Amino acid sequence: MRLEPTMKQAVIRRSVRKFSERRLIAAAVEMDKTEQFPWDIAEEMAGLQYFGLEIPATYGGAGLDSVSTAIVIEEISKANAAMGLCISVHNGVAASPVYLFGNAEQHRRFLNPLAQGKKIGTFCLTEPNAGSDASALETNAIRDGGDYILNGNKVFVTNGGISGINLIFAKTRADGKDLGFSVFIVESEREGLEKGPIEDLMGMRGNPVCPLSLRDCRIPLENRLGDEGGGLKIALSTLGGGRLGIAAQALGIAQASLDASIKYAKERRQFGKAICDFGAIQDLLAEVGTRIEASRLLTHRACDLREKGKKYTMESAMAKVYASEIAVEATRVGVQIHGGYGYTKAYPIERFYRDAKVCEIYEGTSEIQRVVIARELLKG
Amino acid sequence: MKKNRLSDSIWVFGDYRNYFQNRVTLQLIAKGKELAKELDKQLIAVVLGDQVHQYAMEYVAHGADVVVAGEDPGLMEYQVDTYTAVLARWVEAFKPQILLAGATSFGREFFPRLAKRLHTGLSADCVALDVEKDTGLLVQTTPSFGGELLAEVVTPDHKPQMATVHPGIFRELPHDPDAFGCIIYPEIGPLPEIRVKRMRTRPQQTHDIRLEDAAVVVAGGIGLGSKELFGMLSELADLLGGDVGATRPAVYAGWAEEERLLGQTGKNVRPKLLISVGTSGALQYTTGIQGAETIIAINRDPNAPFFKIADLGLVGDAVTVLPLLLDALRKRV
Amino acid sequence: MEIVVCIKQVPDVPTVRMDRERMTIIREGVESVINPLDYIALEAALELRQKAGGHVCIITMGPVQSEVALREALAVGADQAILLTDPDFAGADTLATSHVLARAIQKIEPFPDLILCGMQTTDSDTGHVGPQIAEELGLPQVCGVNEIHREGKFLVVKRLSDGFVDTVKVTLPTLLTVTKGLCPVRDLPLGALEAAFSTKDVLEWNMTDLDLKKEEVGFAGSATQVRRLRTPPPRGSGDIIEGPPDVLVGHLLRRLEALSILDEEDEKK
Repeated sequence: MRLEPTMKQAVIRRSVRKFSERRLIAAAVEMDKTEQFPWDIAEEMAGLQYFGLEIPATYGGAGLDSVSTAIVIEEISKANAAMGLCISVHNGVAASPVYLFGNAEQHRRFLNPLAQGKKIGTFCLTEPNAGSDASALETNAIRDGGDYILNGNKVFVTNGGISGINLIFAKTRADGKDLGFSVFIVESEREGLEKGPIEDLMGMRGNPVCPLSLRDCRIPLENRLGDEGGGLKIALSTLGGGRLGIAAQALGIAQASLDASIKYAKERRQFGKAICDFGAIQDLLAEVGTRIEASRLLTHRACDLREKGKKYTMESAMAKVYASEIAVEATRVGVQIHGGYGYTKAYPIERFYRDAKVCEIYEGTSEIQRVVIARELLKG
Repeated sequence: MKKNRLSDSIWVFGDYRNYFQNRVTLQLIAKGKELAKELDKQLIAVVLGDQVHQYAMEYVAHGADVVVAGEDPGLMEYQVDTYTAVLARWVEAFKPQILLAGATSFGREFFPRLAKRLHTGLSADCVALDVEKDTGLLVQTTPSFGGELLAEVVTPDHKPQMATVHPGIFRELPHDPDAFGCIIYPEIGPLPEIRVKRMRTRPQQTHDIRLEDAAVVVAGGIGLGSKELFGMLSELADLLGGDVGATRPAVYAGWAEEERLLGQTGKNVRPKLLISVGTSGALQYTTGIQGAETIIAINRDPNAPFFKIADLGLVGDAVTVLPLLLDALRKRV
Repeated sequence: MEIVVCIKQVPDVPTVRMDRERMTIIREGVESVINPLDYIALEAALELRQKAGGHVCIITMGPVQSEVALREALAVGADQAILLTDPDFAGADTLATSHVLARAIQKIEPFPDLILCGMQTTDSDTGHVGPQIAEELGLPQVCGVNEIHREGKFLVVKRLSDGFVDTVKVTLPTLLTVTKGLCPVRDLPLGALEAAFSTKDVLEWNMTDLDLKKEEVGFAGSATQVRRLRTPPPRGSGDIIEGPPDVLVGHLLRRLEALSILDEEDEKK
């Protein structure tokens, strides 16, 4: 058993860290303040293949293994969680299913621009009345000759405001028969697709999350991803990878908080000594540090299973729930260690706190993750 | 002068291309003389050029017992190939025990090649030179990791023991017009062909002066609080004939370009004066500036760790202190 | 143009911490990187290759772990990478290091037109190895170069040296050591890193391959010895002044006068 990163993974971590420190840290402050997505930086990231992490080189991707991918997302999120979210979602639940389930023609039309960062992708499952319960989807796709007509509403679409390619989950019907969910690749410029206003979010404000509506949106057959009614299979296979992306992202936020807390605790002096010399502060740091390390091991272990083609449903759920909860805890403790200053915008820790919370919610809430874990544990 | 006194002696390379280099030579003559006394040897300055008599005289007045000089039109330009050829020849003939040069650009380009030709050791940019008690060897203290660590190096079995020495470490002896010394002109021998042809040379303009070479550095940190306040540092630096540096957080904040970054991941500076404003004293930063001769710190927080390494610490807010300081300086310079 | 770039793997400075009691560098948790100026040399070589054609070969002498640095160099765009490694190479000073590197360069076919090194490394900071390779190979050298132009069989290069800006013309083959400002260092695409580690080869040469003897290399072949390592004495803290801004400025001005940075104030004014 190998528990250490390989030479390659170490170099990848350093390479992404250097880029992120130089380009993403300052941008994180701006993005949070202005809610503007920095296209110039995204373009640079596209040039470095950050938009095609696991996609093979033939499509313009980087062809990384799963652990390296988690490392990249962690490092980006450490510097800039909103950008980490963009990369995580784009790679994990947009580019990846198009690669895995797309045909050659779809690879050419959709995977190439996604992997090369020319188009940003979204994954649209959640609806006003369908969150954790995906069976309640109301968006429907009705077969009309060689086309489908899509109608419905999607909400909380991460990357929504900047996307070029959207994966839409819809109930498929033909001749009045229910055929189950299917996934449709819908270009943002397609008639009948409309993006709603950007949500005013608590955290991750640099990521333009918005609702998306489909009004008699006509989609050709060639845009259906996978089989008719194959949506559930795609969703299940994709969500595992998506969870790992969120775990890596949460890990980055947690690590950034711990780093900031350690730095502050060493600098801040009270009663004549640095506050890191007080036992109470040391306890907080030790607890958070331990759990971050544990969460990294969980995440990388699940990535390793994915890389080897083994089942990783439970492991990815464990990694996701654990990492997202430690992210919230690490940032909460971070604000506490920073004291009054931590409650101001003079330090990034308050932003980390706001950014962290959503990790417990999206890509399956902590509650749902525990359902998944329990189901796996109780099997057989 | 007996031949055996000339051999086995301590040699200092006379580097004189500009005023600053010449000062380093004089500093080394002073230090070499001290070592010579300890070892009961002579201090010899060696100087090459087309007309070097004035430098030879100056070296005597500053303490050289003997000056070994070489005058030839072919030596007019500083050229590593010709200088290496002549000095290697003389070292083989006179066998000095120790050979020193200032860690100037030329010293650091020329001495490695000479050491290699003489098949001996060389230490770089030394900050201390001492004689080892039992062995009489020259202990060359050389910085590594940007001065974080000092290595004490000796050259036990090869001669001469060679070192380049950091400028400004030692103090030159006062000019003594009555000093007695002799100047000898050994045979220069054939010079190699010039393979590095100088096409143009011009004195450095202020804009080519690297931050690393500035005599005064004004550095700002995130404690300044705003880009506008950070901007005032440029005027302060201009008024003092210096340049501006920044800490990592200030660079991240977009107040200064990456080229101005001081510290572990940026530049190491050793100015005569460093004025540091709104910098807390993170190790990543202080390692890059602790070579400064004098450090003046301005910071709001009286407990800022940076005050511990400052020669003068001013507890005050840059918002009020900087404009006042600029006003005062504008009137005076 | 056939170019050889000599690189060294050094500890990444931000991760280096000192054990002040034992006077050593804490190796644990220290990452290793290509020496920053060597990285610039590599980028410069690639730029020249783009203009003039040819190949870029990277060599390094070091322990087997230095392979990482070579693979990173391959990711940046080098054509070939050679690791000079042998247990007997350990403990080398610049004299012994330059000997191994020079011997390796002689073995590379064809003999390069240009050898590039970083002007200094961030760890030992000597700047010796470049000139010493040039000496052993009998090549001309120019140190601290921050501009390179190719003019037929010559290179015209610019460098700052002791307060002068020198422009010199040097015949090929030659050795240059380079410094900041020569060319930018680009970020690496992830795919290039992936390929460098999974599909590229690194050649390995040991003492026998280079026809070297034990007494010529490593500690045995070195002229200098490190007696001991120590940390510099800490700077003592000076005067800390508290008071209104004008008082603070007064103190500062007096210190500037004492340092002769500012002339003494004219009393008569």
